[in-house]
Amino acid sequence: MKRRDLMKLGLAGLATPAIARMAHAQTARINMFTSSDANISDFWTNVIAPAFEAQNPGVSINVVIAREGGGTNVIAERALAALRTGAGPQMDMIESHDPFIPAGGIDEGLWVNWEEAGLANYGRINPLAIQSPFGLPYRGSQVLLAYDADRLPAADAPRTWDELSTWIRENPGEFIYNRPDRGGSGGNFVRRAIHEANGRDPSVFTIDNFDPETSPAMLDAGFELLAGLAPHMFEGGAYTSGNANSIQLLAQGAVTMIPAWSDMVLQAINEGVLPENTGLIQLQDLALSGGFSQAVVPVNAENLETTIALADFLLTDEMQNAVITAIGGFPGVSWEVLPAELRERFADVVPTSIPTFPGGDWGAAISDGWYRTVAPNLPRE
Amino acid sequence: MSISVAQDRGRGQTGLLLVLLPVALVATLIIWPIVRAVMDTLIVTGPDGASLSFASYRFFFTDAHSMGNLRITIWTTAVSVSILMAIAIPIAIYLRFVTGRTAAVVQALAIFPLFVPSIILAYAFIRVLGPNGMVDLILGSFGLPRIRSPYLTPWGPVIGFVWDNLPLSVVILMAGLSNVTNNAVEAARDVGAGKFAILFHIILPRIWLSILVATSFVVLGLFSAFTFPYLLGPAAPEMMGPFMLRTFGDVMDPVQARTQAVITFLICAVFGWFYVRSIAKNRARREAA
Repeated sequence: MKRRDLMKLGLAGLATPAIARMAHAQTARINMFTSSDANISDFWTNVIAPAFEAQNPGVSINVVIAREGGGTNVIAERALAALRTGAGPQMDMIESHDPFIPAGGIDEGLWVNWEEAGLANYGRINPLAIQSPFGLPYRGSQVLLAYDADRLPAADAPRTWDELSTWIRENPGEFIYNRPDRGGSGGNFVRRAIHEANGRDPSVFTIDNFDPETSPAMLDAGFELLAGLAPHMFEGGAYTSGNANSIQLLAQGAVTMIPAWSDMVLQAINEGVLPENTGLIQLQDLALSGGFSQAVVPVNAENLETTIALADFLLTDEMQNAVITAIGGFPGVSWEVLPAELRERFADVVPTSIPTFPGGDWGAAISDGWYRTVAPNLPRE
Repeated sequence: MSISVAQDRGRGQTGLLLVLLPVALVATLIIWPIVRAVMDTLIVTGPDGASLSFASYRFFFTDAHSMGNLRITIWTTAVSVSILMAIAIPIAIYLRFVTGRTAAVVQALAIFPLFVPSIILAYAFIRVLGPNGMVDLILGSFGLPRIRSPYLTPWGPVIGFVWDNLPLSVVILMAGLSNVTNNAVEAARDVGAGKFAILFHIILPRIWLSILVATSFVVLGLFSAFTFPYLLGPAAPEMMGPFMLRTFGDVMDPVQARTQAVITFLICAVFGWFYVRSIAKNRARREAA
């Protein structure tokens, strides 16, 4: 894939004639909250907001940054409290939020149901990305393997889990991933191991089927694979504390290969943090899990109608192309509805399926179990 | 007579008003949450009402993972404080007795870490002492082998803590050293005391209290530290700071997180008591003098 083209495409994408229907020409200030990394808040400020405001005179988007992790939970709790008292939540949209938080929010009717909201573009969404009718998957990101192509020729890069395991064992100290609770690149690498140990079938893990009796054994099987690889990892089993720290070690040449978010690694290459000859590859037997950002809108939003128009706008060709080209993300709509040229360009990194892993109780069990069984790096036979 | 009593009473009331705000803040933001946390960890609400239970503490003290994390926290704190004092005491004594340009430079260097945010320090650490960092590059250019990087090992946070806490310790120790008069040192020298005799019989007895205060301060800061163990330390065992946050936010077990917090708090309270007692002693001694 030629990365320089990303930028050109980005500009072309923005010039595409707008097809979104016009929202009402009225004065509205949409408060849009995000807890995502800087590349996403910049994307909203520099790409989405100007494009939407240009089409809707009088409307402005106020991007509110609510980091660190969990920052949007408090905003969602405030919206639920406001719903109960009939007050305004002072919030119109969260661009990425688990609609199951706060508990009971869905039952009390806090979030807009996108299936019934009448979005013109809802039918274009990739069905694999929909986890709940209350979250609008407008962008996704996948975890890839990024490697130093000087030390590992592209032809020899591993393409299956078995090839990857073999490569890690034959090249001790050349691979590192971050702790699973400290960033999705390491987190989804751990989840890929769990998929591997459970028949490579992502469908066995669902949001509500965690069973304290039987589920830990399923996870343990994955942890066993990882513990077997641990002595061959960087420093015999060291794990970085975040996505960016892994990229830093790859950039310093301390390791040859890391799992990385597609959007972060593409940005790092564009900014020169990683060299031009950084290779990217996806496992072909089962892709590393990805995630889709679920945009949510509370039903008591102050600018409900305009915000729903914004949600529809996010799914237009113009914005979906920008997701791919400007932030190296993954479209929320099906690949088939996007231009053929774009599809061909990104063929290398497009997995045949988009596995996801549910959060909730599974996430907690993975974090706890990994720290107890893999991280201590116990001597093993 | 009666006027001065009235004035005293007025002054007393003003004093009370002045401390009311901080005391109210401490009570509502610190004491009350502590009471709540302790109650939450001890009282279990079951189907037949609330009852007293030590189960969460029993889990902590029988769980090898939790105990390993507590042990590494105590180890890191002990090692960091020992190294820190071994560096800070000589610097403080040097700055007390030497004047001139070199001393000014040493003082500036010793205070400098105070102005560097710890997150910047952590990333600088990775670039300098990390794998293929600056030290490795310099060694490599002379054909020397690379260092075994302390990054992601228990020594990573230790090095960060020592650097970050150096200014505070040096300043506290220098304040203590102002109790050591030149007269006392010269008098000892006149009767033939050697350098070590002066150190052990004149200087150390007078700054003992300052060493205790500096140690208490540093221990309180280190025990629940987050940034360095999070960015520079190993995944396991992890120090109590990251462990508590992870238990609360990712494992989603608030009761166990509070249990960890109460245990951490009790250990810190011992050092807080040392600190308060030494301050009180010092004041009593001054008032007597």
